[in-house]
Amino acid sequence: MEKPQIISHMEKSVNYTLYDCKWIPRSAKFVTIGSHPRGTGALHVYEISHRDLIQLKVYETPTSLKCGTFAASSLQSRHLATGDFKGQLYVWDLENGKPVYQCDAHPEIINAIDGVGGMGVGEGAPELVTGSRDGAVKVWDVRQRDAPVACMEPEDGEDRRDCWTVAFGDAYNSEERCVCAGYDNGDVKMFDLRNMSVKWETNIKNGVCSVEFDRKDISMNKLVASSLEGKFRVFDVRTHNSKTGFASLEEKAHKSTVWLVKHLPQNRDIFMTTGGSGSLSLWKYDYPVKRVKVEDGVKTGVAGSLQYLQNATLSTQPVCGMDWSPDKLGLAVCVAFDQALRVIIVTKLNRI
Amino acid sequence: MPIIVKDYQWSETDEKMFVQVPLKGVKQSKADIFCTEEFVKVSFPPFLFEALLFAPIDDEKSTATIRDGSVTFNLLKKEPVMWSQLLSIHSDDKSFVLKKKQEAIEYAQKKSEDIAKRKSSAKEENKKYSLKEMMKLEEADRDRIEQIKVSERNRAMDEFTRWKEEKKVEAELEKMQLLEENKVKKLEENKENESCKISEIFVDDNSDVVDGCRIIELQEDPPLQKANDATEKPMAAVNHDLKQEVDKKKSKVKRQGAGPRQRGKISVNFTPRVFPTPQRESKAVEEDEWLQKQADARKQHAIDDPDLAQHEKDPAWLKDKGGQLFASGDYMAAINAFNLAIRIQPRMPILFLNRAACHLKLRNLYKCAEDCSTSLDLMVPKVAANAKGRLKAHLRRAAAFCDLELYVEALQDYEAALKIEPKNEKLIEDADKIRTVIQSSTG
Repeated sequence: MEKPQIISHMEKSVNYTLYDCKWIPRSAKFVTIGSHPRGTGALHVYEISHRDLIQLKVYETPTSLKCGTFAASSLQSRHLATGDFKGQLYVWDLENGKPVYQCDAHPEIINAIDGVGGMGVGEGAPELVTGSRDGAVKVWDVRQRDAPVACMEPEDGEDRRDCWTVAFGDAYNSEERCVCAGYDNGDVKMFDLRNMSVKWETNIKNGVCSVEFDRKDISMNKLVASSLEGKFRVFDVRTHNSKTGFASLEEKAHKSTVWLVKHLPQNRDIFMTTGGSGSLSLWKYDYPVKRVKVEDGVKTGVAGSLQYLQNATLSTQPVCGMDWSPDKLGLAVCVAFDQALRVIIVTKLNRI
Repeated sequence: MPIIVKDYQWSETDEKMFVQVPLKGVKQSKADIFCTEEFVKVSFPPFLFEALLFAPIDDEKSTATIRDGSVTFNLLKKEPVMWSQLLSIHSDDKSFVLKKKQEAIEYAQKKSEDIAKRKSSAKEENKKYSLKEMMKLEEADRDRIEQIKVSERNRAMDEFTRWKEEKKVEAELEKMQLLEENKVKKLEENKENESCKISEIFVDDNSDVVDGCRIIELQEDPPLQKANDATEKPMAAVNHDLKQEVDKKKSKVKRQGAGPRQRGKISVNFTPRVFPTPQRESKAVEEDEWLQKQADARKQHAIDDPDLAQHEKDPAWLKDKGGQLFASGDYMAAINAFNLAIRIQPRMPILFLNRAACHLKLRNLYKCAEDCSTSLDLMVPKVAANAKGRLKAHLRRAAAFCDLELYVEALQDYEAALKIEPKNEKLIEDADKIRTVIQSSTG
């Protein structure tokens, strides 16, 4: 029993479709993001107390919500930014359920949203990035209305591919920012927001369901991209080689689509992947002896190895949303398409 | 016929009967002893000794030993009575003896069956028992693991609740602290209203939104007039914000909010996806349609023309012949060949294409355009398989239109050709040429 155990502590069935869940920072509360069958969105705030989940607040929004993040709001306000099925970006104040900011971000559904610069983490302006089915990735600043601060999209008339996931990274000072986006044809593109250019792109053959940097607020270290067909890839993005790009290692998991990759906030080498078969897998990345090798004066990165720590099957439906608690090591909440939300505890993470 | 042994010896006590049968030199291992309650038999071929006993014996407690060339029976009587003879009274009655023998045999058989049954049932019992024990052990193991898990879970939950309590307490403390400070500051403010100087106030550019991005330094400065000037203007706007900021102890510098970045746009292009395509984009249906059409087109119509040889009715042969004639310059003959082929296979687009080429060479421009159109109509589900054919058709028709000076139609055909093959430079050049011609003629 020395391995970390994934224990499902609480389970609650709800009567609306759940798409995402996020912990409210500095509290034992979390918010679930979903949609009712009648086409309206649902924001429910729950609190964990002893053995039970108490439903604190219930809000209904005009359109179904798909994704949300706290990462761009300040610690005092803790506003939730959400993207919905009509492509609108809302920022909600969860105390009274009123929108603080609203704009028509995309003509089609916003598939993914991420934020940086809030929560007392990192420096620089707090920004949100949204990725949508229309193939565009747009960066928003809440203080600017109506127009995105940066827009990454194909030219008119060119092929458009759905953007399925976005992530911020490399935000180690107030100027540097990086956005990584994954698309349904397997493209993974990294955009440098300071130079307004495409920093790196590659294709991993299967549609990319989720990308995440191991930390947003440090110089880029690792990037994990998970895809269809049960595969995910870990890129070592510290060293860039102009010919071969980044070193990577590929791993198979779950025997089904790997829906999400979520790094543990307290340890950037441990991450959890969730699968379409309703299972969660815990992984640890081990760095190689030498991270950089020099050939003919050109530096290339060396990929490390992955250790498969633990696995748990919680549901029969895909686990579409998962969030680690930033305050308590090992506590996480996850939601699946079986309309159930589960609070799980992963033990012994401090001894890995 | 076995030899009956009669020279046996017997003796008795009240309880036991002793019979000794000599083995007469036969090997001991060959002696087969059979004993029931009333019947005793020793068979050692070629000899046989059998005896119907006077009274019943207890055959389970009786023994027989083979030793020193003879078999010694030690029979325990059922009733401790002296017999005074070994054999029963009825021993002379052969049929009686036989009957008794049969009974004895049956009895022995039944007994052995019983023993076998008892043995097997005992075995079953043992097996079941051992299985049950194993299951119990495994159950115990599983329970143990469950217990460990539950205890871990409980421990983790307790830790969590404790942490939550801690946080709550901390939050309360902080709140108390803030309230205290607020009160203190208010008192101080009211006292030092005049003498406090607000020196540097940075206000952000887009500052309609009250969202805490200011630095305020509180300084004590002797000259009071300066204080008055400084306090006058910003005081009104900043007053209520000041209350918020001042809540912090002393002069903490708040984080300077970064301005929003400059607007920018990055153009993206995606890797083209040839195969496999995602289901929603697959052209499988159209490709199947095209294959079906091809199959239909290959159906040939029979023509009975007595002049033609068999091979001359084969459309593939005719097509090749037509091609040869075209290459050698005999365009009329080529057209004939294609005509015949079309009669046989009226829905093959390639035949129309080739005939169009012939017409083009003969300057029958309308006919060429017609044939190109027919072939295009036949290649209707637009798939990758017939792309080349369509390209050729468009180009030939464009050439015909050019010669007819119908440049607009020609340009349309070039655009269509470019859609099929967008990277072909010659096409691009030709299209541009036609465009300039059109412009110069209309302009």
